[in-house]
Amino acid sequence: METEARTGPDRAAILSIEGIVAGYGKMTILNETTFDVARGAITTIIGPNGAGKSTVFNAVFGLLPVRAGRVVFEDRDITNLSPRRLLDLGICLVPQGRNLFPELNVRHNIELGGMALNDTRELSRRLDAAMDRFPVLRRKAEAQASTLSGGEQKLLEIARGLLLEPTLMLIDEPSIGLSPIMVQETFAILKGLRAAGVSILMVEQNARAALELSDYGIVLEQGRTRIADRAGAILGDQQLQQLFLGGALAGDAA
Amino acid sequence: MMLQLLIGGLATGAIYALAATGFALVWQTSQTINFAQGEFVMLPAFFILAAVSLAGLPFWAAILVGFAVSILVLGVLFKKLIVDPIAPNGVLPLVVATIACALILKESVKEFYSAQAEPFPALVPTEYLRIGGAVISVQDLFVLAVSAAAVIALHVFLAHTRTGRAMQATAQNPAVARILGIDVGRMILYTFVINAGLAVVASILISPIYLAKFSNGEPIGLAAFIAAIVGGFNQVRGAILGGLLLGVVDNFAAVYLSAQYRGAIPLFLLVAVILFRPQGLLGRAEERTV
Repeated sequence: METEARTGPDRAAILSIEGIVAGYGKMTILNETTFDVARGAITTIIGPNGAGKSTVFNAVFGLLPVRAGRVVFEDRDITNLSPRRLLDLGICLVPQGRNLFPELNVRHNIELGGMALNDTRELSRRLDAAMDRFPVLRRKAEAQASTLSGGEQKLLEIARGLLLEPTLMLIDEPSIGLSPIMVQETFAILKGLRAAGVSILMVEQNARAALELSDYGIVLEQGRTRIADRAGAILGDQQLQQLFLGGALAGDAA
Repeated sequence: MMLQLLIGGLATGAIYALAATGFALVWQTSQTINFAQGEFVMLPAFFILAAVSLAGLPFWAAILVGFAVSILVLGVLFKKLIVDPIAPNGVLPLVVATIACALILKESVKEFYSAQAEPFPALVPTEYLRIGGAVISVQDLFVLAVSAAAVIALHVFLAHTRTGRAMQATAQNPAVARILGIDVGRMILYTFVINAGLAVVASILISPIYLAKFSNGEPIGLAAFIAAIVGGFNQVRGAILGGLLLGVVDNFAAVYLSAQYRGAIPLFLLVAVILFRPQGLLGRAEERTV
């Protein structure tokens, strides 16, 4: 049983969360949360509701003030930097739920992911590449974004996040509201990103499916890291699961 | 006769539409309900008159000064000194602040410039054309042409430039705009600047017809507000339609209804829309996710 665990063999961390304290108003959600995110791998954060999973993302991405502790990205202290700065440095955030501009068309929605890019010709090229990668987006390029299905919207958000060619993607509960087939398709895309060298930090409620996809797992509970280990180890350890996840992993639909 | 009334109504309506468009834009991006919008249309004419009478500038130069000063005061300063500090406290305190602004602007003009209705030079001569059997005022056609040009320019900016689309994005989903690194504060500033610009155009168009008077803000502000709601608060197209509709209805009411009831027509329209189609004629029904 570990608390504040940082186990496993030495791995090159692309992102380090070091003892961060953050919350909303008077509430503190993250209580000196600490963990590393491995380079070139998929790491999933799981845990009960209210554990602080989405709060971690908000704190890392400059949307919530970090009151204590540090966030380190590629050996650089990025604590409390603005989203724009983080996008420039190579981190993107794909938040939970639907996060589109409903009245703009698909093409313009994706294009707005490249606001930080000043070279318009390069932006054009990357936009084309994004639509080649996800043909359904090219097919629906002129359609209003609100007409897309849930799965297609999430695809759009991922394509949008990739426009700036990030090295680290933070993605929050991508499986919400998606059919099991769409979840598998989305996870397949994440695997493809990992193969292309993008490090992924994911928050997921659908713990079993996420851990099966991931290289590493982090269990957050009450704003603290309870487990940090290879995903396979967490999946295999029934006792661990019972203790921290109340058997949540047993019998989860894949 | 009908054609004359229609054109005249559309011309006044076009001016209302400009005011309503700025009003709707400011609401969409920053949740600011600007109850000083009427005064924003009243004021630039006085900046221009002051530039002519106090600084002795020729009219065309005074117009440029009017634009510059209006954009600074009604755009930048309004946003930074009034909206930014008060907005965190909620929509209602900001509404009260804009009402206070309206009073200050109105009384300042009355105190420091003139309580009289001042003539304002027209940009085109007061001539009339005969088209068919109708007598159409050149002034009205000019108003329609300039308003149309302003609206088209705005549309081109919003729909076909990156910054314009970023502004639309900020209006549709500011939280996501922020995550994409869009400078939301700057987008909101641009909206206020555009609103100030539209107010100057409206001011220059309406003042030759109705003269420049400190109290002009009230009817224009009310018209802008009603037009935006009738047309659909969430759509710029709605504000334009609302403005035109209001202008035409008002003009016909003046002729076919008694003068007493003329003022009531816009309010009847407002109540009817709120009762039967609260999202406005072109607006989308707002849904709240629970």
